[in-house]
Amino acid sequence: MRRLLAGLATGTFLLATAACGSSGSSSSTSPSSGGTTTVKVGIIPIVDVAPLYLGQKEGFFSKRGLKLSMTLAQGGAAIVPGVTSGQFQFGFSNMTSLMIAQSSNVPVQAIANGVASTGVAGKDFGGLVVKKGSSITSPKQLEGKKVAVNTLKNINETAVRESVRKAGGDPDKVQFVELAFDQMPAALDKGQIDAAMAVEPALATMKLQGATEIASPLVDVAENLTVAMYFTSTSYAQKNPGVVTKFQAAVAESLSYADAHPDEVRQIVTTYTKTPADVLAKVTLPKWPAEANRSSIETLEKLSEQDGLFKTAPDLDKLLP
Amino acid sequence: MKEVKGLNTVLGAAGLAAFLALGEAVPRLGLVKADYFPPTSRIARALGTELADKAFWSALGDTLTGWAVGLAVAVGAGIVAGVVISVVPHLREATASTIEFLRPIPSVALIPLAILLYGTELRSVLLLVVYASFWQVLIQVMYGVQDVDPVAEETARSYGLGTWARVRHVLWPTALPYVMTGVRLAAAVALILTITAELVIGAPGLGQQIAVAQASQAVPDMYALIVVTGLLGLVINVGARSVERRALAWHQSVRGEVAV
Repeated sequence: MRRLLAGLATGTFLLATAACGSSGSSSSTSPSSGGTTTVKVGIIPIVDVAPLYLGQKEGFFSKRGLKLSMTLAQGGAAIVPGVTSGQFQFGFSNMTSLMIAQSSNVPVQAIANGVASTGVAGKDFGGLVVKKGSSITSPKQLEGKKVAVNTLKNINETAVRESVRKAGGDPDKVQFVELAFDQMPAALDKGQIDAAMAVEPALATMKLQGATEIASPLVDVAENLTVAMYFTSTSYAQKNPGVVTKFQAAVAESLSYADAHPDEVRQIVTTYTKTPADVLAKVTLPKWPAEANRSSIETLEKLSEQDGLFKTAPDLDKLLP
Repeated sequence: MKEVKGLNTVLGAAGLAAFLALGEAVPRLGLVKADYFPPTSRIARALGTELADKAFWSALGDTLTGWAVGLAVAVGAGIVAGVVISVVPHLREATASTIEFLRPIPSVALIPLAILLYGTELRSVLLLVVYASFWQVLIQVMYGVQDVDPVAEETARSYGLGTWARVRHVLWPTALPYVMTGVRLAAAVALILTITAELVIGAPGLGQQIAVAQASQAVPDMYALIVVTGLLGLVINVGARSVERRALAWHQSVRGEVAV
């Protein structure tokens, strides 16, 4: 036994040193084999990224010599540091986070469209809901009420504030609380919050439980709002313009394909999420235009600036493709 | 002894059955909503679906790999560092304040650092696991070494045993019970940190599967996976105890148990 323990100890030490020795070299290079470049993409396991999975399946990436290695990052907080430190070559992030990053000089660059609002009020993939039987029927009535958003001072808070403003209310009187999407149904049901700004599949779950949608905040922000984009680090874009161009083209093709094949989207979503079938059937799919909508991003920027999200205004010319 | 053991098993099984029944009854009686806390039978069905899924098994493999490698590194490094710190004169005093400073830092506080260094790979999980479980082993080894009988130590010296021989024949047997306690504690801590790291960072494994289930509004699946982590902890604890009993078969703490 003692000998075994001693052996174990030496073995682990060798392992530890070996692990340390390799840590510096492997992170920066993108491994390639036989003309295929493998790129790591940091994503969140939600419906929004379905086009990447579909595109991979349909061969839109492989025919351009790209192979995607999806890395699921919970909540997305790990994606921006992961991309800037070179752990991922590409990442998926909402526009507000990208603009905040850019305005604080984090070297990121949006390169391809990610996901857009449907632009149809009441039929969007994000919605502001109240509990079944609630007396609140308009965002204006949220003054003095508790509204849950997944992240404070980010895209969903900006959007809800705009809905309140458009309905004639004062957004500063709304009490925003931070709550993960998956916890919103229970919190709304128990009355811990008065309203929730949720995206799919939490939105469909709440609607199945009888919650009422009182606004489509992402639609209220701007027509056909670009909600999220794929991005890379400025240094990766400079060093690998070829890979970036191929990725852009493959993503654009995947987005168009996903937009035209909603049934295949619902099917592929089951391969990387565990969304229950009854919820998935009710999920409102987003729009996947091939190109980002710059004017909608400018509107979002103006609203975010008004709400005090930036210390200095982001440079959209530098950020956007 | 045998009868007592049998009785214990029966009691343990009864306790577990009562717990499962409670889990079934509470949502069924409407004390909590079944949507957010599904009854045991619903969780069991979700567990069945999980067990049939290939992704589950690869996630389990990832988690066990992270746990085993992290624990092995922590135990190896903890033993070596503990012995060296205790044996080299003045080193203990010199490192005491640093160790007491580093030890209470929660491993999860290092998550941003782990992401920056290693992204969402296994290595970032290992960083957290090793950091958390290393101290468990190190501290136990240092206590164990302190427990060496001075008479035995002096006797070994007067017989002319060298440093290595004294470590091997005097220090190690004294420290071993402490080391095994450290390993048992570290095994549990390593599992907790492996799951936590996967859950928060998104490294592949059971923790990530829990996060995906959460984000997908798949509540029964989420609880099914949580049950799996609990079972894993149980198996690891039983395993660690049996390793401890074997390694210390000669020690009075284990022999005493058998004699009663």
